[in-house]
Amino acid sequence: MSYFVVNDKCNGCLSCVENCPASALSYRDANGKRTILHNMARCVRCANCWRVCPQGAIEFQHFLENQWDEVIELDLVYCSVCGEPLYTSRQEDTLFGNTGRALEHLCPKHKTADFAARQALSLKKQRGIREIPYDRR
Amino acid sequence: MIVAELKPLDEIVETISQFKKVFVVACGGCVSICLTGGARNADALARDLSHPRHYRSLPPVFETTTIQRQCEKDFVKAFLTIPSDADAILSLACGAGVQTVAEVVGALPVIPALNTSFLGSLDAPGIWREKCQGCGNCLLAYTGGICPVSRCAKRLLNGPCGGSKNGKCEIGDDTDCAWHLIIDRLKALGRLDEYEKLFPLKDWSSDRGKGPRVLGFDKTRT
Repeated sequence: MSYFVVNDKCNGCLSCVENCPASALSYRDANGKRTILHNMARCVRCANCWRVCPQGAIEFQHFLENQWDEVIELDLVYCSVCGEPLYTSRQEDTLFGNTGRALEHLCPKHKTADFAARQALSLKKQRGIREIPYDRR
Repeated sequence: MIVAELKPLDEIVETISQFKKVFVVACGGCVSICLTGGARNADALARDLSHPRHYRSLPPVFETTTIQRQCEKDFVKAFLTIPSDADAILSLACGAGVQTVAEVVGALPVIPALNTSFLGSLDAPGIWREKCQGCGNCLLAYTGGICPVSRCAKRLLNGPCGGSKNGKCEIGDDTDCAWHLIIDRLKALGRLDEYEKLFPLKDWSSDRGKGPRVLGFDKTRT
């Protein structure tokens, strides 16, 4: 995607190229054509090109209001109870590699609920209270 | 934005004449935008400094590079590659950038090529004006968005000194009287009652009164 956009008013006068303080603009004259070149890595978005262009050809708004570029797509892991997205499977692999412990697929809310339930159960066991199934109560 | 200007060429020549190879490092931040320390300026400066007329013996060899922000230590450490035969670094950053590079490179001398001037804004193409002194206690809400600390020669907080004439400060140089601007602005906003408020003595400890300032969550970390 190009962030540096010029409209049809550009006449190739090179005032933008000559006035870019970051040397982010250049040009190539070849095969009967002049091509204006822009290097996003060098550009500091100072808008000097836009300021000096005598033709008003530089549409600087593309630097200011652009679209999101997709950077990478990774598989997600969801909460096994409510289905809320938790982390990526690759992140899970990294954590497993670092800690050697498998993660439970639970969101913070259900993790707390699960923890509380398990704690209650262990307390009951400690006190010798037997869990009575619902249908026998 | 930090605004800086190029040092006189003779001064730079004096500081680099003893070296054989000088690595010129431009900054792709504020000083690039204010047209003094960017890639283009670095190339032009290297070209100017290469002229033998400045030196009694052979001029140094120059190599240039640009780093996006010279004021970030980890960034400079990771991405600034210094040629092995460089004797010195000529930095085109603001004072913060020069010090950061000096801290990172350690053994090589780091020489500033710019005089860091002020925090300012672009008034017209190529003209930057001082607008902020980083005093650490912003009063702009009460002064119509015009700063009396940076724009009044006497840093007065409670109205004009009486020395201005036709809206111009008595120091001359066609400097606007900040308080004239403030009153005009408050009048236009219908908020002249703000002008009637008295500012107590300003606490300058948030300025430089307490020495170098540090901002951040963990002030003990370096």
